[in-house]
Amino acid sequence: MSAPSAAAPRRGPGLWLFGLGCGALVTLATPVAVLAALLLAPCGVALVLDTAPGRPTARPVLLAGLAGGLHPLLTLWGGGDGIAGSLAAADLPTIAIAWAAQGAAWLAAELAPFAVTLAQFARSRIEAARLRAERAALEQEWGLPPPPG
Amino acid sequence: MPAVPAPGPPHSPLPLAGAGGAGPLIAGRYAIDPARPLPEAGGGLAAFAVIDHAGGEAALMAVQVPERAAARPLVLAGLPDAEGILRPLAHGPGDAGKWFVICPAPPGRPLWPVARPWTEAEIFALLLRPVAAALEVLGGRGVTHRAIRPDNLFRAAAAAAPVVLGCAWAAPPAMHQPAAFEAPGVAMCLAAGRGEGSAADDVYALGVTALALALGRMPWAGLADDELIRRKLEHGSFAALAGEARLPPGLAELLRAMLAEDPAQRPSVALLLDPDQARGRRAAVRPVRKAQRALLIGALQIWDIRSLAYALARDRAALRLLQDGRADHWLRRALDDGVLASRLEELARRRLADHASDDAAADALLLLRAIAVLDPLAPLCWQGVAVWPDGIGAALAVHGEANERLAALVVAEAPVAFAAMRGEAEPNPAARAAARAQRALLQRRGWSGGAARLCYALNPLLPCRSALVGGVPVARLADVLPALDMLAAGQPRGVTLDGELVAFIAARQEHGMDGVLSEPASPLAALRILAGLQTALRAGRLPALAAALAAAVEPAVPPWHSRARQAAKQRAAAEASATGDLAALLAVLDDAAARRDDTAGLRQAAAAASRIDAALAALDQGAPARSAAARALGQEIAGALALAALAASGVAALLQ
Repeated sequence: MSAPSAAAPRRGPGLWLFGLGCGALVTLATPVAVLAALLLAPCGVALVLDTAPGRPTARPVLLAGLAGGLHPLLTLWGGGDGIAGSLAAADLPTIAIAWAAQGAAWLAAELAPFAVTLAQFARSRIEAARLRAERAALEQEWGLPPPPG
Repeated sequence: MPAVPAPGPPHSPLPLAGAGGAGPLIAGRYAIDPARPLPEAGGGLAAFAVIDHAGGEAALMAVQVPERAAARPLVLAGLPDAEGILRPLAHGPGDAGKWFVICPAPPGRPLWPVARPWTEAEIFALLLRPVAAALEVLGGRGVTHRAIRPDNLFRAAAAAAPVVLGCAWAAPPAMHQPAAFEAPGVAMCLAAGRGEGSAADDVYALGVTALALALGRMPWAGLADDELIRRKLEHGSFAALAGEARLPPGLAELLRAMLAEDPAQRPSVALLLDPDQARGRRAAVRPVRKAQRALLIGALQIWDIRSLAYALARDRAALRLLQDGRADHWLRRALDDGVLASRLEELARRRLADHASDDAAADALLLLRAIAVLDPLAPLCWQGVAVWPDGIGAALAVHGEANERLAALVVAEAPVAFAAMRGEAEPNPAARAAARAQRALLQRRGWSGGAARLCYALNPLLPCRSALVGGVPVARLADVLPALDMLAAGQPRGVTLDGELVAFIAARQEHGMDGVLSEPASPLAALRILAGLQTALRAGRLPALAAALAAAVEPAVPPWHSRARQAAKQRAAAEASATGDLAALLAVLDDAAARRDDTAGLRQAAAAASRIDAALAALDQGAPARSAAARALGQEIAGALALAALAASGVAALLQ
């Protein structure tokens, strides 16, 4: 998970709009909100823990959670069975899929930067080795002095 | 005289003589036998018996050219096969670089010493007529003998030529003539600087020889040259040599004429062929005019004009006689010769007006002119040395101790001033041009100028005297490369050129190599010269010389920057050395285009190295930034994957 930035993150109007949206959702579509809360609970944890600007870890977790819970939420939205329907829809496989998707997104958000950094490092090493070999050839051919340091 | 073989080519260093002789064959056929010296045959020079490998039956001898001197080119160019002359047949190197002239050996013993004085009839029949006949043959070829003296004339059995002229071809003209046998104006010169002279000089020497034979002795024996010359000047040659001796009147008159001071007053060679005419010859010799009182120069008393000129020529300190006016005062008062006195005054005035000139040269010119005015028969006198202009070359070669003064003489173009003072055609364009050319050679900078170059230019047959080829005969340009190649084989890292050798090459070459020869001395310049020579002469392969030159030049050539090029050039140089092609070697070691490419390549390599250093530094310094960018990219990728999953999920939901 991304480390929190040293400076305290600024709370912009987006946070208020997000809260307002959530409040409206709870008020106007309580069953959907309940189901969403159940399915996206890991995402909430991620949003709390990820304090980096732009929430680079929480964002893919959210998107993956939505991808995993989109089908039951749409079903609940179309069925309108209230809180009971909401609870019925939140069966274990559905929650497992949603949470697994979010876990996978978290894992990807943590591993992808590492993998890319590793690839970048390897490319740099290869490039440096090529340049050093080229310079050594020039030194050998023209008697140039080795680089300073 | 027995028939002698026809003249062969100048010489051929190969093949060797083999049995019966030592050293190389001369002209491919004459082998010198050093075990059989001929003590009296060489006219003062060492002589050895010769074996003719072509089977000639004539007894031949090899006369050794004196060290530092050259044989006479005019004579060696070809003389007719005539009675009374030891015709030169060939010349070339013998052992240890010594040079020899091959000619018939004298048929008998020399005339001197004599058992008794010769009679007048013997003098005419056995000396004057046959020698005059031989001199006429020489005169027909435009050459003189210049070595007529009793010990260089030889008895012969032939009735037509009872006397044979000895060898006079192996040394500069009159070089070995004692002072008694030359007129004072010749005897006072440097031995090698007496010039070719004229038939009148041979007539003079013949007259002295006849006098010695007629008297059966040499009354002047024991006199120092200087004393003898003074006596001749004071009393006239005949009186100085004959003294109180009594001679038959006809012979005495003829000898007096033959010993006339003025060559123009001596009888011609043709006249000597006819004894009756010769006996009737009356000398038109004027007595030497004496002064009423002597002019004192130190302890020396001068009584006549020519003696004054001689004193001025001998003693540079006598210049003050001209400067303080004592000489012209003495001429005016003691000799009543106002004209001569005025001419001396005029010369001294010109010198004073010419005060800006170099003192030594201007003083020497003053002396030269004054001596020429006082004694029109005197040679060119310069700072204590005397030479005839056509003897300057030989004098330069032989008299190293006088080289500085001879060089100053050439620089001052003294021969031109001398010719002008003697009343020769003035201006004489040819003499002036020759004097200027000699001066230019002397003053030329670099290897190819200086006294050595002038010396070789004036002595066409002078072998190269460079220590580099010591012991190896090098007389022609074509001998240089084989000699150096042979030396290089013995000392592969020690062969280069020296000034003497370059001067020799410069003087002998006719291939437009002046530019190369004018370069400053360096191993590369030496290679350029020898490569040019090899090309010009179409000489064969010279592998040893090429290797030695490569060894000498390579350290002096800046190394190539490119290691690959360096290695390639070394391989190419080794290949060129192995083939003995000096031009190819030069092309390898002196490749200007490749040198430019090499320098440009070094610049480009340095720039490329700088770029690489900058790129490596950028790689090192940009690691944190790249790490951050990689992290951001990874997060973007995760986000994109999640977004793609959401999109796929949405599509699936819509489709259901």
